Amino acid sequence: MDESSTTSLGDRVRRAQRGDEVALRELIVAYQHRVAGFTYAITGRSDSVEDIVQMVFVKMARAIARLKAPEQFEPWLFRLARNTCIDHLRRQKLRRIFIPFAPEHENVPEPSGAVDTEELDALRHALAQLRPKDRALLALVQEGRSHAEIAETFKTSVAAVKARLHRAREQLRQHYHSDEN
Amino acid sequence: MKTENHAWERLREHAASQISPGFPDRVLRAARAAASPLLISHLAMCAATAAVCLVAVALYDARISGDEDATNIAGWGEIAAQASDLEQGL
Repeated sequence: MDESSTTSLGDRVRRAQRGDEVALRELIVAYQHRVAGFTYAITGRSDSVEDIVQMVFVKMARAIARLKAPEQFEPWLFRLARNTCIDHLRRQKLRRIFIPFAPEHENVPEPSGAVDTEELDALRHALAQLRPKDRALLALVQEGRSHAEIAETFKTSVAAVKARLHRAREQLRQHYHSDEN
Repeated sequence: MKTENHAWERLREHAASQISPGFPDRVLRAARAAASPLLISHLAMCAATAAVCLVAVALYDARISGDEDATNIAGWGEIAAQASDLEQGL
């Protein structure tokens, strides 16, 4: 991101913090597709992507005034998205404990036509084999976040991020190629 | 690695296609709707807590002062009876 776009992002964030709905709308338009990709990588369900992304942006709208450093908006937004996805998966898991699904209702496949290519299907299945936190890690890397930013998001060290990322990439590669074959 | 990157690209495109038109406006409406009930429910909760505390304090105070009054009246009654006995004895 160049300096001018960082400045305009900073301006937008500051305007949104003052309650300017136009700026808030511009932020949503600018990030909706990226947050959708990030959310899909973690949850693996395209039919819940829009609902989760909406939750993320509603949280953003309500909390943006408390963001101390407007230039940190992007990592902050992806941290919000990551936490929302992990909460969603946790709630789903809890719901399954209290309302057990019949075997035929477990792992319901994506609606027909939802996954239209084999390579996407293979990636989706490979991601599903990883832990949600590892999926979030890989999705953050795909989003272009630096190791330092990811370390900040996960509240850990850069060295730990590198090690976990290496393991997650290896696992993903193994599952991806075994699904492809 | 290249095929994986291509698959990630497909994943992002597929996810982006799940966002229907008018999404930003729906988010803004939802954010507005979420903000007001929260404030109202927060204020209602504060008012209810304050009311419960006031009622509890009032009940406690009434009970304590009722007990004290009863003790005082009993004490004065006893003194009055003793005074009356003393008067009759004189």
